[in-house]
Amino acid sequence: MSTTELFESAEVPTIDTSGTLGRSPWQLAWARLRRDRVALVCGAFIVLLGLVAAFAGPLSKLIGWSPTQQDRINGLTPDGLPAPPSVHHLLGTDNLGRDVLVRVIYGTRVSLAVGVAAAVAAVLIGVIVGLIAGYFGPAVDAIVSRLMDVVLSFPFLLFAIALVSVVGPSELVEIGVIAFFSWAAVGRIVRGQTLSIREKEYIEAARSLGASDRRIMFVDVLPNLVAPVLVYTTLLIPVSIVFEATLSYLGVGIIPPTPSWGNMISDAQDVYQQAWWFLLFPGIALIATTLAFNLLGDSVRDALDPRTERLFAK
Amino acid sequence: MTANRRRHPMLTKRRTAAGVSMVGVALLLAAACSGGGTKSTTTGASGPANRAANVNASGSPTKGGTLKLIGNADVDHLDTAAAYYTTTSTLMRSFTRQLFAYPASTNTTTANTPAADVATQVPTKSNGGISSDGKTYTIHIRQGVKWDTSPARQVTASDFVLGFKRLCNPTQNSVGAPGYYEGVIAGMDTYCKGFAKVPATVGAFKSYINGNQISGIQATDASTLKFTLVKPAGDFLNILALTFSSAAPTEYLNYLPDSADFRQHTVSDGPYSIAKYVPNQSYMLDRNPAWSQSADPIRHQYPDHIQVTLGPDENGVQQQIQAGTQDLQWDTTVPTTDVPKLKSTNDARLGIYPNFDTNPFLTFNMQSPNNGGALKKVAVRQAIAYAIDKVALGQIYGGPTLNTPLNQVVPPGNVGYQKYSMYQTPGNRGDAAKCKTMLKDAGYPNGLTLKDVYRTSGKHPAVYQSVQADLAKCGITVKGTPSAASDYYGKYLSDPTAARSGVWDISEPGWVPDWFGNNARAIIEPLFDGRNYGPGSTNWGDYNNAAVNADIDKALAADTPAAAAPYVHSADLQIMKDAAFVPFQTQSTPLFRSTRVHNAIESPFTAAYDITQVWLNPSS
Repeated sequence: MSTTELFESAEVPTIDTSGTLGRSPWQLAWARLRRDRVALVCGAFIVLLGLVAAFAGPLSKLIGWSPTQQDRINGLTPDGLPAPPSVHHLLGTDNLGRDVLVRVIYGTRVSLAVGVAAAVAAVLIGVIVGLIAGYFGPAVDAIVSRLMDVVLSFPFLLFAIALVSVVGPSELVEIGVIAFFSWAAVGRIVRGQTLSIREKEYIEAARSLGASDRRIMFVDVLPNLVAPVLVYTTLLIPVSIVFEATLSYLGVGIIPPTPSWGNMISDAQDVYQQAWWFLLFPGIALIATTLAFNLLGDSVRDALDPRTERLFAK
Repeated sequence: MTANRRRHPMLTKRRTAAGVSMVGVALLLAAACSGGGTKSTTTGASGPANRAANVNASGSPTKGGTLKLIGNADVDHLDTAAAYYTTTSTLMRSFTRQLFAYPASTNTTTANTPAADVATQVPTKSNGGISSDGKTYTIHIRQGVKWDTSPARQVTASDFVLGFKRLCNPTQNSVGAPGYYEGVIAGMDTYCKGFAKVPATVGAFKSYINGNQISGIQATDASTLKFTLVKPAGDFLNILALTFSSAAPTEYLNYLPDSADFRQHTVSDGPYSIAKYVPNQSYMLDRNPAWSQSADPIRHQYPDHIQVTLGPDENGVQQQIQAGTQDLQWDTTVPTTDVPKLKSTNDARLGIYPNFDTNPFLTFNMQSPNNGGALKKVAVRQAIAYAIDKVALGQIYGGPTLNTPLNQVVPPGNVGYQKYSMYQTPGNRGDAAKCKTMLKDAGYPNGLTLKDVYRTSGKHPAVYQSVQADLAKCGITVKGTPSAASDYYGKYLSDPTAARSGVWDISEPGWVPDWFGNNARAIIEPLFDGRNYGPGSTNWGDYNNAAVNADIDKALAADTPAAAAPYVHSADLQIMKDAAFVPFQTQSTPLFRSTRVHNAIESPFTAAYDITQVWLNPSS
């Protein structure tokens, strides 16, 4: 093994600093990520998804159908079965004669919006609650941690369905429900990290210099949590997307006719034997998106935390 | 998805509408076509209206074999006092008997006209069975009708009296449609009011039932029954033909109605007895040795056993019957998506039968304060009636094979049906331009915004979205309010407070009459009699028109279906003139049988094959 190789793969400080001099941990992580081909492909796919979601309107104009337009002439058989992929509808139609391609495109919008918003909301709540639990000592910790335990022990779907049927479904309620069930996991991680960081010397130093609790929490502790939180956010997004699809599938998510992958799959299950395209394409979109986010999340974790073992040695 | 994966959830329950009827005089009087002096009772232009096509009547009836039924869910109740689902009626046909019953026939009129069952004959004014004021019915019991007790015992007039006395028992397992009895039979109200205060124990029930009489139901001797009515009811025989009106043996007093214990101890006076019942899993019925063909003009006893297996959904059921491992559907129908293929191959095992229903339709909340009370205006409702594409709605339910557009209140197969169309659009496809013009003339050039409450299960979301697309073309924005199926009536449609506060403007329920033929009490009255409006009412929109109410009274009191028909039709015209609702279509049920099933006669009353008519190919 040559010395250069050793220097690249190991994290030990070296005397010869010419190669890595001045590179912050973030730069290092970025460099690692850029070398990760899986991460690049997934990142590109997610950027593409974002573009598709952002330009869903112009795209659907280009295709020629709106997401709620029912083509009762070419889009349905007289018996009401969806029409297969054709020149009229590139990916076929759904049970009401609507263009599957356009609806999958619009569904991207819902999935990304709800998925990202819910994940971000969950992380915000989780970080704040976790910081408080970890920082303020055993009494606060005990109460807040039990609260998190309670939230984590809720029967996920049952509670979501019950809540939505009482409050009435809407996108905001959906984001709220998903965030509510996701923040506690983030909170636990943040709490654990905070517990160990608050004992560090530099925190003690800050405190002896008279820094306020808030300043220590947000200026001294929080930046050290960015890496795990970022990783967790990336992994939480696909979970939220799947959760959104599940709620819509159960009829308690997005209100039709707004398309979401979940309610498309739900509508498709009655006719999938006659109309495979109706189930397949939203299914592929959902799987590809969650897979992309998950793989990207793994890569981000690998890049930020080189101590974890890599599945494929580089 | 929802628990209910049955393709036609509405068919499995007798009343599409409300979960629990309280008030309801909810009988529909469907007039058999013959009755009303109307045209013949075919379903309409499309759909195989030939009810005889798939009977497989060839060969001579053979005894033996086990008829195997398969389906999804268990009965609602196994006690005739409470059983309300159509599927339950299918089973009840084999082990319960009524004074009158609907004969198995491929002729729609015959199939929807009550014939003598345990009664010796159909009472009329001319044979003295009905008094000249139409309020007293004298009915004689047929000899040789026996309970499968040991020893076998003749069914008596008192057994029928007991059947009626058990109806309004104060448990969850009481009659689902009290309105057909209270307010119709003299003394029923008083009897039921007293019963309501009785604690739910076997002893208390027994002593109340034995110690109290319904003044309007008397067993004058062992084989003679006398009914006294509050006012004349031309459809009283239809009421007596409901399974609620079955005879009950005294043994039933030993159990709380429809309790688990009761369900293991049913007593039969029909051709079959329940030999083994495992709740939610299976039934095994054996021949009832006490039954004799000579004392039963309605049923037969061909197979040795009837077996019911519960569990699979409609797709699983369909596969098994097609494979020949099972014979008939229990509570499911052929999946609508399978119908086109079976039909194109002319599969003789497929039968398509008209439901004589109106399902679904658009109901208006006429009390809604939204849009400045726009839905109170007839012109606005008429405009909306023009906007609806009924063909597209039919496609949701399988297209023209299974659905026929409907433009009036009374669907075919019911007394008073006369085909007409007040708001005809080209090909029933809807006319957005006309809707727009009318809406503008009514004072809404900028359209409206309507809240549509829809159920999140089954086809309901698709129906709502279809209506939404139609109304969008007319400039009306429809906003969906999803509702769990269990909340739909209680929280929205049948709650006057919700209606008045404008929680909903429009919705798409449906209606399957409790019986067909002479049934003003089962269609027009529950849906459009404004005098019944209140909590739990099925007059969801709060429609109230004195002329319609008067016609309903006259139709209910009319002696014969023919006499009732003109009043029903006149009410129909007025309701459509007021655009009190927008009918979409009347549906048909696709049924399937195995090859070895012979004499498969569909019963409109149960929307399934009559299991007491079937015989099995002996070589199978």
